[in-house]
Amino acid sequence: MRRAVAAGTIGVVLAIPFLTTNQFLVHLGITVLMWTVLGTAWNLLGGYAGQVSFGHATFFGVGAYTMMILYLKLGLAPWYGMVLGGIVGALVSLPIGLICFRLRGPYFSLATLAVAEIVRLVALNWEALTSGPVGLLITTLPQVSVGSRSVNWESKVPFYYLVAILAVGAMLATYGFSRSRLGAYLLAIREDEDTAESIGIDTVRAKVTTLAFSAFLAGVAGGFYGMYFRYVDPDAVFPIALSVEMVFIAVVGGLATVAGPIIGAIFLVTVSELFRERFLVGHLIFYGLCMMLAIRYLPEGIWGGIRRAFTTYVAAKRS
Amino acid sequence: MVQSLVSGVLTGSLYAMIGVGLTVVFGVMRIINLAHGELVMLGMYGAFWGLTLWKLDPFVSILLWTPLMFLVGMLVYRFLLQAIIPGGELNTLLYTAGLSLLIANLALFVWTGDYRTIKLPYAMLPMRPFGIAVPIPLAIAFGLAILITGALYFFLTRTDLGRAIRATSQNPEAAALMGVAVDRISMITFGLGSALAGAAGVLLAPSLYLYPTVGEILISKCFVIVVLGGLGSVSGAIAGGVLLGLVESLGAVYVSVAYKDTIGFVIFLLVLLFRPSGLLGVAKS
Repeated sequence: MRRAVAAGTIGVVLAIPFLTTNQFLVHLGITVLMWTVLGTAWNLLGGYAGQVSFGHATFFGVGAYTMMILYLKLGLAPWYGMVLGGIVGALVSLPIGLICFRLRGPYFSLATLAVAEIVRLVALNWEALTSGPVGLLITTLPQVSVGSRSVNWESKVPFYYLVAILAVGAMLATYGFSRSRLGAYLLAIREDEDTAESIGIDTVRAKVTTLAFSAFLAGVAGGFYGMYFRYVDPDAVFPIALSVEMVFIAVVGGLATVAGPIIGAIFLVTVSELFRERFLVGHLIFYGLCMMLAIRYLPEGIWGGIRRAFTTYVAAKRS
Repeated sequence: MVQSLVSGVLTGSLYAMIGVGLTVVFGVMRIINLAHGELVMLGMYGAFWGLTLWKLDPFVSILLWTPLMFLVGMLVYRFLLQAIIPGGELNTLLYTAGLSLLIANLALFVWTGDYRTIKLPYAMLPMRPFGIAVPIPLAIAFGLAILITGALYFFLTRTDLGRAIRATSQNPEAAALMGVAVDRISMITFGLGSALAGAAGVLLAPSLYLYPTVGEILISKCFVIVVLGGLGSVSGAIAGGVLLGLVESLGAVYVSVAYKDTIGFVIFLLVLLFRPSGLLGVAKS
């Protein structure tokens, strides 16, 4: 049953470019899937381990800049740059994790916020590397062929498939992660960190490993962002709002669930993009509103709510 | 040198006022109110519209906006926050993050993202006591900030209601046993915090650019301040505010203008790591 739903979802996701030629819809799909990757990345740490980071934009931005700088200065193709962006993101996360994980609960959140602001200010001022507020721009992407056909980078469809692969990969990884030993450690840490430590779990190591993995996913998404939009600047990839959006997508969709982030992304990104098309500004109103409603009435998120309703339904049918 | 000291203390007094609002709310309710910066932003826009629509000087319209923000804060607590508090610190943190995004984006929607400034006729008059340039609006704001913060300090230490607030802050259960209506106190405290934020916003308005997401920057400064002073400590927040003002203005001169904001965050991290109870934490307990 679960597998059928999962396979069905993947099928629908992959079929979308065949069903429509509307560029806006394809763009919307790309945005939703990119945010799915980001929500999934945040969810590993925030959902499974209960460590609320307000600084994940750091890894996204580092990934985006890594890909841009490697391409502009060394000519390294963006798809390698994208993966390297993830790796650099993970490396950057190690010192950050070692510092911030000395703190717990809301103090950890505040520390990640501060780190993210420091990184943003550095990106803004280290002009030799990042060109500062001007940002970095790439005009063309290198030629590449899949089979015998060369990829048309002017169309949105190749980007759609690329990000779809990333999103599905991130979700599968989350699934594997949640069933691994590390996943079990994290649940123990989330429920009671002191007890987890007293039964011999190396909590710092578990959290740092998870953060690195989460940062890798966020960094890859950043690399993808750079490749798709071909332009990055500090305000686009390092703002606090970006970190907060990731949090909201995971929480509204469903914390510590595999499907939560994609549900959250479909819902929030679609509503806010439609709003943005119509009114230009203020599209995050819904993020704020949905977050408040979710915490108040549906703390397990949309997907958690659906799942609970389904279980109750099945149980009622059986009895 | 003296110049940067003076401007550091002047701005620092306003930071302190914002920080005090955040810290009393944290003390009583254990809420880290991420929407605090947006309350300051509302105060700033209050000052702007007061001047634009009714020709009210910000330093007059503060008499209107402060009680109004007090009321808004109480309503926010009663109808939005109260039900969330039993869910724990992380839930309220996420909830106020939502509130903050909601307020900022509603403001963006209604007032657009344009940068606005408040021009006061007397802002350009030179005032140079002892050869130090002091912007007049900032000097008035400084005076009022001291007055308001001093009044609050008096209120907290000398009145029954203030004592009840401090008692709840130290131990809610014991305070409840002693007959303090903790829920009512929480509501009043949240109103008080919002009023302080709003008043600080009005005072800051003539010296800063106004735009709907200005709260984001203010709130991050605010965290630096309250963590410097120890979360929940009023005198700590005052000291932290002045300290941050000084660090920023001296840092801009002696380190680099570009990195002046970074210094604050680095200190913030260091304090969080090595003195989590704040610089004044030990002296207090």
